[in-house]
Amino acid sequence: MFLLKAQEGGPPLPGPGARNPAEGAHAAAAERGHALFRENCAACHAEDATGGRGPDLIRSALVRRDKNGELIGPVVANGRVEKGMPAFPSLTSLQVADIVAFLQAQITLFDLHTRFGPYPNDIPAERLATGSVEAGKAYFNGPGACNKCHSPTGDLAGIAKKYNPPDLEVRFLYPSGVASTAVVTLPSGEKMEGTLVLNDGFYVAIQSKDGWYHSWPANSVNIEVHDPLAAHAALLEKYTDADMHNIFTYLETLK
Amino acid sequence: MKRLSVLFVFACLSTACLFAQELDPGKLLQLPTDTWPTYNGDYSGRRYSPLKQINRENVGSLTLAWAFQTHGRSLQSMPIEVNGIMYITAGNEIWAVDARNGHSIWHFARPGGPLGGGNKGVAMWRDRLYMTTPDAQLLCIDARTGKLIWQIQVDDPTLKAFGGVAPLAIRDHIILGTSGDTADLPGFLESVDPMSGHIQWRWDTMPKQGDPAWHTWPHDTDVSTRGGGMTWITGTYDPELNLLYWGTGNPHPVENGDARAGANLYTCAIVALDPNTGKLVWYFQSSPHDTHDWDMVMTPVLFDGTFHGKPRKMLAQAGKNGLFFVLDRTDGTALISEAFVPANWVEGYDQRGQPIPRQDKEPRPDGVLVTGGVGTNWQAPSYDPDTGLFYVNSRETTGVFYLTMPGKYAEGWAGRDFFLSSKSMLKAIDVETGKVRWTADTLGRGGQSGILSTAGHLVFTADMSGNLVALDASTGQVLWHMYPGGSFGTGPMTYELDGRQYVVFLADSVAYAFALPLH
Repeated sequence: MFLLKAQEGGPPLPGPGARNPAEGAHAAAAERGHALFRENCAACHAEDATGGRGPDLIRSALVRRDKNGELIGPVVANGRVEKGMPAFPSLTSLQVADIVAFLQAQITLFDLHTRFGPYPNDIPAERLATGSVEAGKAYFNGPGACNKCHSPTGDLAGIAKKYNPPDLEVRFLYPSGVASTAVVTLPSGEKMEGTLVLNDGFYVAIQSKDGWYHSWPANSVNIEVHDPLAAHAALLEKYTDADMHNIFTYLETLK
Repeated sequence: MKRLSVLFVFACLSTACLFAQELDPGKLLQLPTDTWPTYNGDYSGRRYSPLKQINRENVGSLTLAWAFQTHGRSLQSMPIEVNGIMYITAGNEIWAVDARNGHSIWHFARPGGPLGGGNKGVAMWRDRLYMTTPDAQLLCIDARTGKLIWQIQVDDPTLKAFGGVAPLAIRDHIILGTSGDTADLPGFLESVDPMSGHIQWRWDTMPKQGDPAWHTWPHDTDVSTRGGGMTWITGTYDPELNLLYWGTGNPHPVENGDARAGANLYTCAIVALDPNTGKLVWYFQSSPHDTHDWDMVMTPVLFDGTFHGKPRKMLAQAGKNGLFFVLDRTDGTALISEAFVPANWVEGYDQRGQPIPRQDKEPRPDGVLVTGGVGTNWQAPSYDPDTGLFYVNSRETTGVFYLTMPGKYAEGWAGRDFFLSSKSMLKAIDVETGKVRWTADTLGRGGQSGILSTAGHLVFTADMSGNLVALDASTGQVLWHMYPGGSFGTGPMTYELDGRQYVVFLADSVAYAFALPLH
């Protein structure tokens, strides 16, 4: 929703390094709970409890209000038949408490990330690959002109093995973290080249190839910026959803 | 006897005016000059000051008057200033600061803390301050001493509800909203008695049975009881119409629209309430059936003027969904509905001027490309009556949205979205046409800070590179800049004391007050 820094001072990650016995006991319970959850619950709620066929338990009000199984226990014991959840009468209250410990540990983990973290980066490739390999390839070599810079047997060989599916999709749509370069012409006519560090209209700064940082008042030099992602930015404005699905489906074959 | 007591009261009142530092309620009804008594400076949300000692001609010589250090505590606070004292906040803290020189007067650090975390500021009522906290409490503090008078729980922190929004004082009401979107929480506005902390009324974003809005949700699941529609930016108030205006946040599950077929009132709406009772007078849904996390809580800015030849009382909002609206604030009639950034998710507008979302741009399991999102966010906009321009720090974005939890029993986020590209810029929108008159987009200018406009024909804000800037209000030309070396979580404010105008910016953990040189 928005970044209020209140969220940053969150609780520490659970797991190894627990310092006091109570924390250690909780971690052990969470571990047992994880095994129980995997066996009994993960098929519907996903192994990380973020939901699948069944609800997301990380963001469930009932789960968050529960302390020791007093709310979750009855749901597990009786099921929610009307919503398709079967009853698990064989799970003991101690086992439910372990599952609660696991869910609490998961909640702590996910709350640290909220939506800006890695959750849930495990979208399977087949869910994203709804396009046509042929159409994707045609776009790559045709209107997209991707083949001017990239090759499926060169830099993109095995690309689908290198990145998980959503990362691969996001990266081809608009790769991030690639810095612009700049040629700065000084008043003397001398030219300097390097990675662009700052260009805010008031100052220009580059890091030259030898690693040194240089800066100038913006109005004292001439600057030519080269953005290696310019072609990606231009394409992003043109892609249809079908283009995106086709290109992904094609790239996913490069294993 | 009667006469004597009247005289006595009169004497007390005039003494109060002379010596007390408490907030004169009359100041809330004036343009801010020696006082900046609310989150937005006044009730209108315009963030416009009539001060012009600092102006287009001399702003280039602006210099640092003083700085106030919190010693590392990051600030997202909108300071208020009353009778020469400034109040600055963080999560569970308030600093009272001499607004003439930056010296500390007192520091409130709530027992048990924790310290740190964001807070958007206090409301002041007579000699008391009110703030909401990370654990969703409302605190009442003695403005003289910084001592806690009372605290009440206003929402459920176990469901990750949190405070931070600056409350709004209207007569004998302290009005507040809450934040949080980790679990599915129902949003609300609440009015509290300033003396006792007793709740006077509560307005719920989720409609109850019997309300026509009930039918904008499905009822074969419990989705309408679970929520969304948080109220995390301070609203505005029209004393003549006696209407309180507030924006509401997005519905839940956030990115699954199938689970909540319908418009999902009163989420993503501007609501006009009677501040005495909390009763809804009218609403305008600025993003019906949102599926992209576009809270429409951005400040409803109030101003009067002539619209197409007819005098109007207007309300304008630039929203997170990339759309700009001008309404007649007496009844919510739309005068303008217009995108201020490219927005491919809009099918068109309905008879009331509310956008119709494109169904094929709802998140899908294999992803959809969406533009227009987070057109702006918490950064407060400003309206300058001298130029007739509405200034907003905006972003032109493309994002990809995945539905990760389909079906009608979905909960929580139920999806995932990634920003692909984002270009930040300050836009000046003509309120009579809804068109962008000029854009300050040179190398990322505009962006992360709130905005202040003044009668000095200036617009103050900060850019994406960390520079504070003053722009010409008519053209957007940069007339002054300064690099304070920190990030911005709030906007600038201004006031005049002893004949000297100060402009205050908060950057990271420092408050900087700028003024013209004394000599």
